[in-house]
Amino acid sequence: MHSRSDISLPLRERGSKLVIETLDLVKVYAEGNIRAVDGLNLSIQEGEIYALIGANGSGKTTSINMLSGALFPTSGAIRVLGLEIPRHRRIISPKIGVAPQEYALYGDLTAEQNVWFFAKLYGLSKEAFGRRISELFKILGMEERRKTAVANLSGGMKRRVSIACALIHNPKLIFLDEATVGVDPVLRVFFWEYFRALKANGMTIIITSHVMDEAERADRIGLMRAGKLIEEGTPAEIKRRNSASSIEEVFLKLSGRNVADA
Amino acid sequence: MRDAVSKTPRAHFSIERVIAVTWRVLKQISRDRRTLGMMIMMPAIIMLIFGFALGGEVKNIPILIDNQDTGFSTTLDSISVNLYAGQQIVSFLQYDSRVRVEVGSYSLGVSGVDDGTYSASILIPPNFSQSVFLGSEGQNVSYSFLLYIDGTKPPIETSILVALQSALQGVAGSRSVNLDKQYAFGGTKFSGLDVSVPSVMAFVLTFLVLLISLVIVSRETTSGTLPRLYTTPLSAIERLLGYSIALLLLSLIMVGVILGIGIGVFGVIVRGSLILLFSGAVLYALAHVFLAVFLANFAKNELQAVQMAPLIALPSMALSGMLVPVNSFPDWIQIMAKLVPMYYGNRIFEGIMLRGYGLSELWLEFIIIGVVAFIFLVLAVTTVRDRMAD
Repeated sequence: MHSRSDISLPLRERGSKLVIETLDLVKVYAEGNIRAVDGLNLSIQEGEIYALIGANGSGKTTSINMLSGALFPTSGAIRVLGLEIPRHRRIISPKIGVAPQEYALYGDLTAEQNVWFFAKLYGLSKEAFGRRISELFKILGMEERRKTAVANLSGGMKRRVSIACALIHNPKLIFLDEATVGVDPVLRVFFWEYFRALKANGMTIIITSHVMDEAERADRIGLMRAGKLIEEGTPAEIKRRNSASSIEEVFLKLSGRNVADA
Repeated sequence: MRDAVSKTPRAHFSIERVIAVTWRVLKQISRDRRTLGMMIMMPAIIMLIFGFALGGEVKNIPILIDNQDTGFSTTLDSISVNLYAGQQIVSFLQYDSRVRVEVGSYSLGVSGVDDGTYSASILIPPNFSQSVFLGSEGQNVSYSFLLYIDGTKPPIETSILVALQSALQGVAGSRSVNLDKQYAFGGTKFSGLDVSVPSVMAFVLTFLVLLISLVIVSRETTSGTLPRLYTTPLSAIERLLGYSIALLLLSLIMVGVILGIGIGVFGVIVRGSLILLFSGAVLYALAHVFLAVFLANFAKNELQAVQMAPLIALPSMALSGMLVPVNSFPDWIQIMAKLVPMYYGNRIFEGIMLRGYGLSELWLEFIIIGVVAFIFLVLAVTTVRDRMAD
C-alpha cells in the first residue's frame, strides 16, 4: 500500500518541461477490489492541453484525483511540477486548480462567494481577488450572475463558477474533469477557445471527457480503457496510426466490439 | 371536455405496484445497515436506560439527622417508662430505602446541604420524646423539627418529606407535626420552571448543538466539495477548526436564546454569576461541537449524521439526572451516569442557577467538561479525512 514513495521516477534534468509524470500508477479500491487505474504511465509537457478520453468507469476521474493529490495511489509514483505526490501535495496545491466533475460548489453561497472562499484558501488578498474575479467573470460571461446563489444557476453556469474557482489563484496546472459535460454546444466552443487562451499564457490543462470528438481539440490525447492507457498521441497521429477518420472511430476500433460497456 | 377526460382509459389500481414500492423501500433499508441497526438499537437502548433509571422510586437520598432528643422517663402505674422517640425516628429512617441517614450536628448538615453532600439536614428537638408522651396523654405540647432542605430537586424534596412524615406517623401517631422547613440556597422555594431550566439547557445544548453541527459538517460530504478541498492548501485540521469556530458561534446564539427567554420572559432565577453560567454553557457547547465534528467524520450523508444526535442525547438525558436524581439509580448505572458529559453540564447549570455556586464549588465539573472537550477534539483531529476514501 505504501510503496509509492519507494519507487523513484526516472528523473529528468532540472528545468525539465514535464509538468506531470507518472510511473506504473495503480489504484485498487478496497471496496469491491476494483482496479480503477492499472499501471498508468503519463508524461505531460508544460503548456499542453492533454485530454484523457474514455468511457465512464475507465479510470479518468480516479487518475485525476490521484494527480491532484485528493486520492492516494495504491502503488506507483507521481510527480507534479517536479515534486512527488501525494507526499508534497500541500506544497503543490497552490499551483494547481481542480474543477471536479460534479460541480463541488456551495449551493447556498452566491457565485462570487464560492470563488471568494477558494481565493481565501489559496491566500489571495482582497485586491488580488477583486481584480481576478472581475477578469474571470467577464471572460466567463458571469458578470450578471455574480450575486446569484449557485443553487439557482443552470448547469452551464455552475460549470463556469466551478472553473472560476479552479482558476482564481492563477495556477500553473489545472484539472478539468468532464468540464464540458452538460454544457451547450455554444458554450463548449467558447470553453475550448478559453482553454487555448489559458494555454497561451503557459498554463497546462488536463481535461477528461467521454465525448470523443471533443478530444480532437486537445494537443494530445490519452485513450483510457479499464484503467489502462491504450493509445496516446496527437489527434492526427492517433487517427493515422489506426487508419480512422475520427477519434471516435479509433476508440471503437480499439475497444473491439464491446462498445457499449467499454 | 369532461367526457373526454372520463373516457380516457385509466390505469387500474395495481397492488403489484404497491408491493413493488414496499419491496424497494425494505430492500433499501436492508442495504442501509446503519439505519437498520439504529432501528433496533435505539429503542432497545432507550427502553433499557429509561427502564432502569425510572423504574424504581427515588432512593438513597443522603440526609443528616441531628438527634437532640433527651428522651423521656416517667413512672406509669409503678412501671418505669423510658421513651426515646428521637432515636426511633432515626431508626425508622435508617430502614427507609428512600433516604440514607447519617447522624451528626445540624450545622454540619446545613453546610453539607449547601455544598451538595446532603439533600437535607434534620434537627430533632430536645423535647421530642416528652412531647410525644404528653401528646399521647391528650396534652397539647408543641414541638417542631428543624428541616434544612435542598429545594432544587422536587422529587428529592418530596421523598424526604414523605419519609419523614411516615417515620413521625410511626413514632408519634397521627398528631400534627410542626416542620420548620427552611430551604437552602437563599431560602428560595423554586418553581417548577426554575428547577427545570438548567436541565433543559443541558439537554437543548446537547441535542441541538449535536444535531445542527452534524448537519452542517456532513453537508460538506454531500455537497461533493470535499474532494476539491483536498486539493487546496487547506489542511484537515484547519478545516476542522474552521467548522468548530462557526459552530461555536451558532451555539452561542442558542445559549443566548435559552437564557434570554428563561430569564427575560419567565424570570427564571439565576443565583450565581451570569458570566460564569454563560462561560459554562459555552464550554459545554464546545465539547459537543467537537463531538459532532468527530462523529461527522463517520457519517456518509446528512441522514446518518442526523441519526447520531438522538442516539447520544436521549440516553444522556436519562442518565444525567435530569429526570431522576442520579443517586437513586442502581450503583452500576450511577457509574455510567458519571461518564456522561450531560451529568456534569447539569451540575454546572444547576449549581450556578439554583444554588448560586461559583468556581470554588464547580471547578471540578468545569475541568471535566474541559477535558471531555479536549478528548473529543483529539478524536476529531485523529479521525478527520484529509483525502478521498481508498
